Amino acid sequence: MHIVVCAKRVLDPDGVNGYALWGRLKVDDSGRAFDTGGTVAQIINAYDEQALEAALRMRDAGAECRITVVTVGGEDAGDVLKRCVAMGADHAIHVVDSEARADGFRVAAIVAALVRDLGDVDLVLCGRQGSDYDQGTLPGALAEALDAALVTMAAGVAVDGDTAIQVRRAVPNGEEVVRAQLPAVVSVSNELGQARYPSSRGMLAARRTPPERRAASDLLAGREPGGVELVQLVVPDVQGHCEIVDGADAAAKAAGLMARLRERGLLHA
Amino acid sequence: MPEHVLVLINVSPGATLRDADREALGAARALAAARGVPVACALIGHEVAAAAAEAAERGADRVLTADAPSLVPFAGERFLPVAADAIRVAEARIVLVPRGPDLLEFVPRLAARLDGASVIGVVAVRAEEGDVTAVATAFGGAAHAVYRFRAPGPRVLALAPAVAEAPERVAGRTVTPEPLTVSDVLPRVEVVTPAAPLEGPRLEDARVVVSGGRGLGAADRYALIRELAAALGGMAGASRAIVDDAWASPAQQVGLTGKIVTPDLYFAIGISGASQHMAGCSNARCLVAVNTDPQAPIFRYAHYGIVGDCLEVLPELIRIAGQSGEPKA
Repeated sequence: MHIVVCAKRVLDPDGVNGYALWGRLKVDDSGRAFDTGGTVAQIINAYDEQALEAALRMRDAGAECRITVVTVGGEDAGDVLKRCVAMGADHAIHVVDSEARADGFRVAAIVAALVRDLGDVDLVLCGRQGSDYDQGTLPGALAEALDAALVTMAAGVAVDGDTAIQVRRAVPNGEEVVRAQLPAVVSVSNELGQARYPSSRGMLAARRTPPERRAASDLLAGREPGGVELVQLVVPDVQGHCEIVDGADAAAKAAGLMARLRERGLLHA
Repeated sequence: MPEHVLVLINVSPGATLRDADREALGAARALAAARGVPVACALIGHEVAAAAAEAAERGADRVLTADAPSLVPFAGERFLPVAADAIRVAEARIVLVPRGPDLLEFVPRLAARLDGASVIGVVAVRAEEGDVTAVATAFGGAAHAVYRFRAPGPRVLALAPAVAEAPERVAGRTVTPEPLTVSDVLPRVEVVTPAAPLEGPRLEDARVVVSGGRGLGAADRYALIRELAAALGGMAGASRAIVDDAWASPAQQVGLTGKIVTPDLYFAIGISGASQHMAGCSNARCLVAVNTDPQAPIFRYAHYGIVGDCLEVLPELIRIAGQSGEPKA
C-alpha cells in the first residue's frame, strides 16, 4: 500500500497565541503576516504530524506500506520534510509553489496532480486543518479532485483487507468506526494522540535523503487553480472592560459576584 | 430561477431550526438585500416540514426540501449531491452554512465539486463590487483573516456564532416547498460501529456553562466545576489543556477544536484565556473569570472577574448558588 501524507509548515500557533494572549500581536506592513520579529518558529502543523503518526502506526501494526510525505510551498517550506523522514517516512517530496499560501484549494489541485503522477497511491492522510488558518480545506477538496472516499476526524486508521480501511472517528458524542473503500483521503484529528519523536537513526537517514523537488507549474501543466486569496490579517479587539469584584476574602468576593449576576438576571435562582 | 442567496441546512428528524440556522437566515437576508436578490433556504434531512415552515416565517423567499430516510444519519457522500442540486436550483453564488459538527465533511468538498471555494469560521461577510469578501478566524482565534475569492464557482461560507441576528418570525408567512433531487449514492464509507447515542442536554444548548482549566491544579478538583455547574442549572466545560490531561472528557472541551458555546453566562475558572479557548466561548452574553493572576489574559475578555484562588472561591460560589432554594433549570 502506498500512503501519501500531506504536511504543511506553519507559524507556531502557540507562539502566535503567546503574543495574542498579552495583547502584543501585530500585523506587519504587508498586512498579511505578523510582526513578531522572527521570534516565532515555523514548525510542522501538529495535525499533519499526527497524520504521519497514523501512517507509521499502520506500518507498526504490520501493514505493508510505503509512506511518502509531501509538502507544497515556497523554497523554505521543505524544512518540515526532514522531521517527517526522521520520524520514519520512506520518501519526501517538496512541490515548490509560491502561490499556495493560505489557499487549500490550490494545494489540493497540486497534490491531486502529484498523486495522479505517482500513479499507485491508495491512501492520502492529512491533518484535520492547518493550525494557522484553521480552514480544513485540503482533505475535502483533495478527495473531490481524486474522486476518492473521504473520512474526516480520524483518531486511528487500520487496513481492512486489500481494498478498504477502518477508521476510528472522533464525533461529538464519542467515537464511531467506519469502513472506507480505497482510494481514500482521511483527515486526522488530535484525538489520535501524541506523535513519536524522531529517532537518532531516523535523523541520520533524514540527513542522507534530501527531499525530491518538483515544480508545481510542471504538475499543473498550464492550469492556475485557485480558490481563495488571503488579502489581510487583522488582530481583533477584545472586550477589555472587566469589573474585578473585590472583597475581604473569598466569601465576600463570591457574594459580590453572585449579587451582580442576579441583578443582571443571569441566574435562574 | 434567478440568483438567490442560499442557506444550506442539515435538519435532524422532526426538528425546528436551531439558533445557528436562524442566524444564517439573518445573514442571508442582509447579503441578499445588498445584492438585490431573494433568499432561498434548503432543508436537507428527514421529516423537515417543521423546519421548512419556520424558514418561510423567518424570511426565506424560496424553500427547497430534501426529505428522505436515507439522509439520516448525516453522511457527507449522501448530503453532497443534494446540496449541489440546491445550489444549482437556487442559482446561488453565495451559499451560507450554519455552524455544525459536520462542516469539514462537506463544505470544502461541495465547493470543490462546483469549482467554487469555501471559507469556514466566517465572522463577517462584506458585499463588495458584485462579489463578497469573507472574514474568518485564524490561528485559533488570535487573528482574523480576510479572504477574496478567486474560484469561478459558488462561494460557500460556513458561519461562526453571532454573525447576524435571527430574523423576526412572521407567523402565517408560507412558501410552498419545492423538492430537491435525492439520488441513490453508492456508499464508499459505511458506519461499522456507531457512536453511543447522545444522551441528555448538549453543552452547545446550555444557558450556563462553567469551565475549568489547569488553574484547578489537579484532576480531582474538576468535581468542583461540576458541582457549581449543577448548582447553577448549567453544564460543565473544560479547556483543551485539561482534556489533553484527561481531567475532563473530550465531549466537554470548549474551544475552536471543541464545542462552540453561546450561553447567557460563562464561567472560566483557572483558564488563562488562550485564543483557541476564547474562540469557543467569546460569544457568551456574560463572561466571568476566576484566576489567581490579576494579569491573566482572560480578564481582557471577561465582564466580571475575581482575583483569587479558585479552590477558595469555588466552594463559596457553590454555597451561594445552592442557597437560593429555587428549582434548578
